[in-house]
Amino acid sequence: LGVLLLLYCSDCNCFSNCVLVSQILTANDLTLILASHTAATGRLLVGFRKWYYNAAGFNKIGLLRDDTIHEDGDVKEALRRLPEKVYNDRMFRLKRALDLSMKQAVLPKEQWTQYEEDVHYLEPYLEEVIRERKEVEEWSKK
Amino acid sequence: VDLQWSDTPSISILSLVTKLPSGLVIASLDNYSPASRIGVFVKAGCRYESPDNQGVTHLLRLAANLTTKGASAFRICRGVEAVGGSLGVTSSRENMIYSVDCLRDHIDTVMEYLINVTTAPEFRPWEVSDLTSRVKMDRALAAQSPQMGVIEGLHGAAYKNTLSNSLYCPDYMVGHVDADHMHNFIQNNFTSARMALVGLGVDHDVLKQVGEQFLNIRSGMGTAGTKAQYRGGEVRVQNGSSLVHSAVVSEGAAVGTDEVMAFSVLQHVLGVGPHIKRGSNSTSKLIQGVAKATADPFDASAFNVNYSDSGLFGVYTISQSAAAGDVIKAAIGQVKAVASGVSEADLTRAKTQLKAEYLMSLESSEGLLDAMGSQALTRGAYHSPEVIAQMIDSVSATDVANAANKFVSGKKSMASSGNLVKTPFVDEI
Repeated sequence: LGVLLLLYCSDCNCFSNCVLVSQILTANDLTLILASHTAATGRLLVGFRKWYYNAAGFNKIGLLRDDTIHEDGDVKEALRRLPEKVYNDRMFRLKRALDLSMKQAVLPKEQWTQYEEDVHYLEPYLEEVIRERKEVEEWSKK
Repeated sequence: VDLQWSDTPSISILSLVTKLPSGLVIASLDNYSPASRIGVFVKAGCRYESPDNQGVTHLLRLAANLTTKGASAFRICRGVEAVGGSLGVTSSRENMIYSVDCLRDHIDTVMEYLINVTTAPEFRPWEVSDLTSRVKMDRALAAQSPQMGVIEGLHGAAYKNTLSNSLYCPDYMVGHVDADHMHNFIQNNFTSARMALVGLGVDHDVLKQVGEQFLNIRSGMGTAGTKAQYRGGEVRVQNGSSLVHSAVVSEGAAVGTDEVMAFSVLQHVLGVGPHIKRGSNSTSKLIQGVAKATADPFDASAFNVNYSDSGLFGVYTISQSAAAGDVIKAAIGQVKAVASGVSEADLTRAKTQLKAEYLMSLESSEGLLDAMGSQALTRGAYHSPEVIAQMIDSVSATDVANAANKFVSGKKSMASSGNLVKTPFVDEI
C-alpha cells in the first residue's frame, strides 16, 4: 500500500514532489526527507520548469519570457521605463519572432534561448509599477 | 501690581546658531508662531556647474518632488498636502534652498520629506526625462521677461567662469541632462560643510538632532569652487521690441567686505524704484537726472548684487529705442555726480531707506528664513537687525563716493536688448 505525501519546503518556497511511502513514517524520518529535499526535489522542480519552458516553445523563435507578457496598463508603463538598450533588444527579438512566424519557421537549434540564459528584465520595473499603483489606490481610499 | 514699561525689552527672542563638527550650520529662531518654516540651504548654485553639466541646477530645481529612497513622488506630494504644508525649492547663482512650511505640530512629517529630498533622491531616468517639458516651459517663461534676458546676459558677459553660468538650462542641454549628471552634482556639492539647516518656529535641539542624524551623509567640502573672474564684456540682443533694456555695471563688492554697505547705500542714494505707487520718484537721483535728458517714458534704477567673492554694481535702464543713448549716458552721468560728493541729507535718506527695506524684508517668514540661511551659509552666524542697522549707519559720505568712483573707473560690462539702433556700445559710454 503506497501513500503519496506532499511535503512543503520553506527554503525554496515550493511543494516537494510526491514521496511514495509504504510504511508509517516517524517525525524523524520526515525531517530527514525534508533535509535532503533541497538537493533532490529542487533538482526535480527545476527539471520540470525546464521541460515546461521548452514545451512552451517561444524560445524556438528567440523570445524571452518577458517578451511574451500580455501588455496591459501596468506592463505598458513598465515598458516605457526600460532603459533604451534593453527596449531596443526587446524590439529586435519581437521583430525577428514575427518574421519567423510569418515564414512558419523556427531558429536553428543552436540559437534557441536556453532556460538558464533567460533574463527576467521586465520584472523589477513591473513590480515597481504595481507597487506605485497600489500606493495610489491606498491613498485614494483615505 | 504696577506694570512698568522699560526701554530694554525683558524677553528677547534670540536666534541660536550652532556649527556641528561636520561643518553643518544649524540656525533657528523660535518665535512661538503657530506655523513653522524649515529650510536646507546648500552652496550648490549654478556657479558650481562645470562645462559638461550646464543646466543641472535647473533640473535639480524641478526635481525636488521626484521619488526618493524613503518616499515615492506621489507620497511626497500627498503627504505634504495632507498636513497642509508646502515644499519648495529656490536657487540662486550661489545657493540652493529647499524649504518646507507647515503648522508646528506637523514638523516631523514634513521634515522627513525634506531630508529625503535633500539627501536621498533617486533620480529615476524616466522621471528625469519627463522633466524636459517643464524645462522648456521655464525657459519660455523666462524669455517672456526682457529683464531676465538682460541679467543673464550681463552675468554671461561680465564673468569668465562660475558666475557666468545661467540659472536656466542652456539650449543645447535641454533633454540631455540625465540622472548621472544630477547624482554627480549632488555627490560633489551637497556636502555637510556646505549646508545650513535653518528653522523658524522650531526648537533648536530638534534641529540639531536632525542635523546630526540625517544631514551627515556626505562629509567634507566636496569640489572646491573656483574664484569668479570678472572680465567686463558686452552682449547685445537685437529684437523688435521698442523698449530698450540695458544694464551697465562694473565690479562691485563681495559679501563680507567693508564696501558692501557702502555700495548698498550708494544704490539707495541713486534710486531703486518707486517708493510711492505712481509717485514722482522725487528722491531718486537717477530718475531726476535722466528726466532732464528725455521727455519719453523711461525707468532707471541702480543695480547691485553681492556674491561670495565678487559683485556687480551699475545702472539698469529701460527707455524708448530712439532715446536709449541719452538715457544711458544721463544715468551714468548721475553716478559720476555722486562720485564727486554726496550731501548729508541724501546720505541720511538713503540709509533710512536701506534700513527700512531690510527690516521690511524680515517681516515675512520667507524673508526671515532667507536672511538667516544666507548669513548662516556665508559666515556661520546671524547678525541681528540691530547689528545690521549699526553697520549701515557707520557708512560715511566718503565711503559712498569711493564706491561710486569704483564704478566710474572700473571696467564696464553691458547687456542690452531691444531695438538697439541708438544704443551705445560699452566703449562709447
